[in-house]
Amino acid sequence: MSFRKRLLAGEFVVLAEMDTPKGVDISDLINNARRIKGSVDAVVVPDMDKDVMRISALGGGVLMQQQGLEAIIRVCFRDRNRVALQGEILSAHVLGIQNLIVVPGEDVSFGDHIETKAVNDLDEIGLLKAIQSLEDGIDMAGFELKGAPSFTVGCTVAPYTDEEEMKREIAFAEKKIAAGAEFLIAPPVYDVAWFAKFVEGARTLGVPIIPTVFLLKSVGIARYISINEPSAHLPEDLVTRIRKSSDRTGECVKIAGETIRSLKGLSQGVQIDALGWEHLIPAILEQAEV
Amino acid sequence: MITAERKPMEEIMGYVEPCQRILLVGCNECVTVCAAGGRKEVGLLSSALQMAFMKSGKVLQVKELTLERQCDPEYVEELVREIDGVDAVLSMACGCGVQEIARRFRDKPVFPAVNTSFMGASERQGVWAERCQGCGNCVLGLTGGICPIARCSKRLLNGPCGGSTGGKCEISPDVDCAWHLIWERMKALGMEKSYEQVMPARDWRTSRDGGPRKIVREDLAL
Ligand code: SF4
Ligand code: SF4
Repeated sequence: MSFRKRLLAGEFVVLAEMDTPKGVDISDLINNARRIKGSVDAVVVPDMDKDVMRISALGGGVLMQQQGLEAIIRVCFRDRNRVALQGEILSAHVLGIQNLIVVPGEDVSFGDHIETKAVNDLDEIGLLKAIQSLEDGIDMAGFELKGAPSFTVGCTVAPYTDEEEMKREIAFAEKKIAAGAEFLIAPPVYDVAWFAKFVEGARTLGVPIIPTVFLLKSVGIARYISINEPSAHLPEDLVTRIRKSSDRTGECVKIAGETIRSLKGLSQGVQIDALGWEHLIPAILEQAEV
Repeated sequence: MITAERKPMEEIMGYVEPCQRILLVGCNECVTVCAAGGRKEVGLLSSALQMAFMKSGKVLQVKELTLERQCDPEYVEELVREIDGVDAVLSMACGCGVQEIARRFRDKPVFPAVNTSFMGASERQGVWAERCQGCGNCVLGLTGGICPIARCSKRLLNGPCGGSTGGKCEISPDVDCAWHLIWERMKALGMEKSYEQVMPARDWRTSRDGGPRKIVREDLAL
């Protein structure tokens, strides 16, 4: 069943984020794709995540589809103007991509080409509306298209530190949904009770919410997040749990699996971000009993 | 106002090294306020240049002058009396002033002594920050008086990107997140509802993307 059909049927979807390589050696990407085939419903391909130059999301998405995995590609407005974006979106459709996620992207100063010039012609709302318009057969300049694309379109919710910021994010999500977003990808969940508050507040939005589950990988990463990202709400005892474990990687897999298990019933799926350790996704899902 | 900072001495020296006589021209407006190219800075640069020349056994004659407004032809005309006999003009005004001199005196090389930075305001003594990018279609009325184009690193028009931490922009803990400020201000004004208003994709033609801009006021033209 396709990602869209599962979403509409209210089924729990499992997405895996998989980034493309910097260079043309795609062997790791393809091997990882083969390993997770059958365990996930679709693969999410980032669009120059952190503005690090690499194979594009469209390129990665097509590679996934060639491996028999459904692709969801992210589209970001940082590096392309509305002309390039619309052209890429049309290309995505004819190349078989059926799902898009509109994201704001990180500032170019995070990337590996810091001397570049960010474009930012559109923002999330502008891009969502552009996709809506293309689907109606008209481009942003009002010209008619020879054949209109169609997609399942999602957007992201930014991390929120407190209830006030959560309220702001929900208000913003409302605008994105009005502009065409059909599902929301929520930030990484480490504290399910905190995420449950968001679900409660976002109930009126009426769209599926898919939170991210991040494979922590090491005690160092967990500690970094708990100190530097207050919006992550990463409980201290999680850091201690990884630190005390004799098999730290195994413990991280367990934590991710447990998180997914407790998200069932609360969200309509998960997006697993294994940061290159996609080979562990089947083990995570086993823990999660998905 | 327009803000600027003086260029490094080595770069300025690179321009004036072959000269024996220069005209060093400051401006009494923005660059005076941001202490980059007013009368005081003209004096300081003049002495620094002459000393640097002396150190290498050469002499540089510097005529100092600070115009009321270097971007205004009426004041630039005052240079007519001073410019004969100098090898070059070194301007401490913003890029507009430098170009106005270049336009008026076609046979004289003109060099910039400052880097023109941005349109900004003074946050406190000695600190200036960008406030406006002259987009040509101001939206401050919809954003609580805080500009998302000049002050949000991604020029977002409808809400934050999610990268901010503790009200600071993801690019640096020294930069306020514009959307955090907008949201706080909307709340303070009881205008949260305006936040729900959708700002459509912008028409950037009124901005620099539409090419160099010009304002023509027929009613004022002579
Ligand atoms: S909206 Fe445009 S004109 Fe208004 S402050 Fe911002 S950049 Fe300047
Ligand atoms: S952190 Fe705030 S100011 Fe910085 S890019 Fe994001 S929304 Fe804009």
